Parts: sequence; C-alpha cells; structure tokens
Amino acid sequence: MSSKSFLDKPFFGSPFFFFLTLEFFKERKKHIGVVVISLVILFLLSSVLFISSSIRYSIEQTLDKEPDFVVQKIQGGERVNAPAEWIDPLLEIYGINKVTARVYGRYFFKAKRDSFLIVGVDFMDEQSHKTLESIMDETDLKSFLSSDNMLVGEGVSIYLKEHFYPNHYSFLTPKGDFKKINIFKVLPKESNLIANDMIILPMDLAKEVLGMGEDEVTDIALNVPNDDEWDNVADKISAFYYDLRVVTKHDIKKAYENLYNYKGGVFLILFLIAIVTFVLILYQRYAMVYSSERRHIGLLRALGWSIRDVLKLKFFETIIIVIISFIVGVVLAYFYVFVLGAPLLKEIFLGGANMKNSLVLVPVLDFGVLSSIFLIYAVPFIAAVLIPVWKISVTDPKEAML
Amino acid sequence: MISIENLNRYFKSGDTSFHVLKDINLEVLEGECVVLRGVSGSGKTTLLSIMAGLDRPSSGKLLVDGESIAKLPDLHISAFRAKKIGIIFQHFNLLEHLSASENVMIPLIPSELNMTEVAQRVKRSLEIANISHKATRPAGRLSGGEKQRVAIARALVADPSVILCDEPTANLDRDNSLKFIDILKDLHNMGKTIIVATHDPLFDNLSFASRIVPMQDGSIVSKEQGVGSSE
Repeated sequence: MSSKSFLDKPFFGSPFFFFLTLEFFKERKKHIGVVVISLVILFLLSSVLFISSSIRYSIEQTLDKEPDFVVQKIQGGERVNAPAEWIDPLLEIYGINKVTARVYGRYFFKAKRDSFLIVGVDFMDEQSHKTLESIMDETDLKSFLSSDNMLVGEGVSIYLKEHFYPNHYSFLTPKGDFKKINIFKVLPKESNLIANDMIILPMDLAKEVLGMGEDEVTDIALNVPNDDEWDNVADKISAFYYDLRVVTKHDIKKAYENLYNYKGGVFLILFLIAIVTFVLILYQRYAMVYSSERRHIGLLRALGWSIRDVLKLKFFETIIIVIISFIVGVVLAYFYVFVLGAPLLKEIFLGGANMKNSLVLVPVLDFGVLSSIFLIYAVPFIAAVLIPVWKISVTDPKEAML
Repeated sequence: MISIENLNRYFKSGDTSFHVLKDINLEVLEGECVVLRGVSGSGKTTLLSIMAGLDRPSSGKLLVDGESIAKLPDLHISAFRAKKIGIIFQHFNLLEHLSASENVMIPLIPSELNMTEVAQRVKRSLEIANISHKATRPAGRLSGGEKQRVAIARALVADPSVILCDEPTANLDRDNSLKFIDILKDLHNMGKTIIVATHDPLFDNLSFASRIVPMQDGSIVSKEQGVGSSE
C-alpha cells in the first residue's frame, strides 16, 4: 500500500480504515511475533479440544448401543461366569424387552503378555445380525459359519501379522488343546476405539477358546425402554438371586468417564502450560504497548485524535490480530487432528493401551467449545492492549510524547 | 484570538512543587505572528503546550476564539486541536514507518472527510510546504529540512487558524532555517495566526513578526519588544 496510490487513486473506504490497514501492514513485523505465539497456543488448545471432543463423541456413540442393564454373577466380590438358566426368569419381568446372553473374556498372547478381547456373538440373533450387517452380507455369513472363522480388530490383525499369523491363529484353550481359527475379515477402522483389540467369534467357539462351559455365559444384557422403570426393574432383578449384580448403562458411562478424566489429566498439564505461556504473552504485550506505543499515541492525541479515536484504532488493530490467529490456529488444528490423525498428541490419549491403536478421529466441531476458546483468548488479549492504550491516552499528550 | 490572563502552571515531583509559569498575561490578535523568546527552561514550550491544549494550566484563564479551553472535556479539546491548531514540533515527531503524505494525513483521520477530500487536502499542504516531490518517501529517509517541511504540511492540512511552532529550527542548519522562515511568511500572508517559541536569533528580525515576547524563569520578563530591537 503505497502513499502514491492513496494520493492518485483514492481508497474507497473511510480514512480510518485506510489508516488502520496502513498501520497494520507497515508495522507487521511488530505483530508477527505475537501472532506466531498466539497461533501455537491456539493450535495446541484447539487440537486438544478437537481430539477430546472426537473421542467423547465416539464413546457416546458406542455407549448408545450398550444395553441398559448387565446382570453379572458375583463370587468373592469378583465377577464369575453366570449360569445361562438365569435368562428365562429375567424375561418374565414386566418392562424388559430384550435379554441377551453375552460371552467375552481376554485371551493372552503368551509370547508378549499382550491380550485380545474375545467376544462371542450369536450370529443368528436378530440384533447381532443387524449390527454386523454393514460388515458381512448373507453370503459372507454362510461362509463365515461354515468353518472356524473370526472377525478381528485392526490392532489384532496387525499384531498377528507381526507375529507371522497373517491368515489364522491357533488359540491355546484352557484344556491345553490348540484351536486353529481363520481370520475372515478385519473390522473397519472406524470401530477402533472399542474394537481395536477385539476378536469376534461365534458363541460356541468363543466359549471353547475361553474355557467356558456350554451352559455358562459371561453376563446377561437386557433393555428396559421406559427409563422411569429402571430402578424398579433393577430392584426386581436383584431380588432373584443373592449372588447377582446389576450394572446399568450409567455405571458404564461413569467408568468410561473416569478413564477419560485420567487421560484428561495429561491434557490438563498441557492446558496449564498453554495458559501460563498465554499469560506471559499478555504481560509482554502489556509492557510492550506501554513502552513502545507511548510516543505514537501521544502524537496522535497531539494531532487532534480523541481518546475514543485512539482506542478505536488500537481495538481494530488488535481484533485483526486476534481473528487471524484464531482462524489460522483452529484451521491448522483441524488439519492436524482430522487429516493427519494427530500424531504424537493422540498417543497421550491412547498410549499405554494393550495394542497400538490406529484410531480414526471422527471430525467433530463443537461450536460451544470453539466460542469459549475464542473468548478466553480474545478478551484478555484485547484487554492487555486496550488498558495500557487507555492509560497512555488519558495522560497529557505532551507527557506521553516525552 | 488568544487571550491569557494570570495563567500559572505548577508541576509536582514528590513533595516539591515547581512554579513553571508565573502569572502570564498575553493577547495575540488574529493574523498576528508572535515570537516567544527565551532560553531553555524559561517556560515558553509549556506556555505553547497550554495554548495548544496539550497541557492544562493550574490556574488562570485561557481563551481561544472566545472559548475557554482550560477545562474542556477530552472530546472537545481534541476537536479543538484538530480544527483550530496546527503544531510544528522541535523534533518533527513524524511516524518514521509512514511516508510523508501518510504522516500529513494523520490529523484528518478522525474527521468526517472522505478519502478524496483527504487526498486533495494532503496534496495542497505538501505543495504549500514545498515537499510534494517527496510525498511517497518514508519519513525515516528524509533529511532534517525535509522532515520539517512534512511537519509544516501536517500542521496545515486541517486548515487551522493558529500555527504553533516549538523551537522549529533547533534541528535545522541555517539554510533550512531560512527556508522554514520563508514558508512561515507565506503562512502569515495566508492570514494564519502564528506563535513561535524559540531561542534562535534568526527570529529576532522577522519582517512579518509583530512582536517578540521575552520569557525568563516562567515569566514574561519585560515589556514586549518590537521586531528588530535588542533584548
């Protein structure tokens, strides 16, 4: 923006906006450091929030599919396999519309002490059928059930390949026999949050691998459509057997949240670092404005600018910095998290898990969170500029220019 | 035009109070050119600052065009400075990152003029100050004399009735000082009221100056002198 253009080809905005853009671009070096540091902080904050929102969303989606109640058998305070005969009396309780026997447990891969989650599924059950519909069609299902096959999570598939089992694995059952099972399909990446280390087997095969009796189940899941009846139904179920425990969806949600909060602690440290850095920037900004802008503001005031004119100029100058930093920081964070898959940061959340997880982060934009970031960043930042500007403006221009 | 009665100015530093201007009485008529003459510390710059509304008197009366500006609120005093007063500072006080013409436009930014009008006024002021040829040059790359001419253009751009000059030739060589005085003469011919605070002897014999007002230790020391008389 040269002055020649303004004298020969007048700018079609107001003189104020002409001067604002002029000052902003001609003094861009002064702003660049602040913009870069602000960008880093906003990028970090937004990335963390994008990851946590995405994982929270995935957990909520998963929990929605969880049964309302799970009935377990307890022995010595620990869960043990429940008898399948418990299912029939539960079906008779008014208000319960679906009862499913579930079979699952962990299988330890001895060479490395890592474990897989074995889940037994009744493929003929209507609900299971629907859930697996997107993965297997009718033809696949027939073929799957015709011999010993399994569906594996992506983490399991990679792990077995690394240990030279690309197509099958021979499970060592508690009886000491080897059970060879073929890998039929790998579960889609989108399910990695819950299914990364999962192996899905037909019910009988799962019982065999886990060493369970034919009349045993791990637990029993059931649904109660009327939320208001949950307490009544829980009381009725509890009254059936003395060694029974009822776990509700709320309990499961709490367990997930506890795990989530634990991981959130690591992020809290990152947040604190970001906030401390931000406070330092604000202090630097405040001190810089106070020292370097004194003469400038004093001169504007001496040339007839009112306090309001000066504040207006500095407000717009600051809001441009804030908006540029915010938009670029958030866009970079979005790209980093949802396009690049948040390398490094994701490991903080998923690190320490049983198996390396190549979880796909589902893009989730929480506008409430974004607006909060904007306000938390913008308000103190603008204040850190406008307070010293105001302080300088109200002093006599002559004194400010000294 | 400007009427000052029993004006005093004190500065406080801790418990100590400095009496910087003592019972100043001065009348400046419209179109007059008055030289405030005195050594450094005599109070002439403080008096000029008060006349410009950059500083406020501790007591006394100051009327400009019949209006008392001593106690005006900020918005009014800013508007007063923008419309009626053009100031030429000793150190030019240009924004070095802006070009000459951009510096000149600064007093017009808060006005209600559009950019076309602003550009016209800036052009005209640069012409009067004889610095149009350096309009696009950054202020930081101008010589002392050129900077002073940009400062003159800036002081003129809002078409003020009063031009206040604070030690305008202190940072100029003799040639540039004489050129400055020539421009000042033009401004006087345009009907501007001019008040110059200086200790430069070049101003002792200005043909267009009506009076020299000698100052010492914050007071107007003796009867005002006519131009050409010795102190």
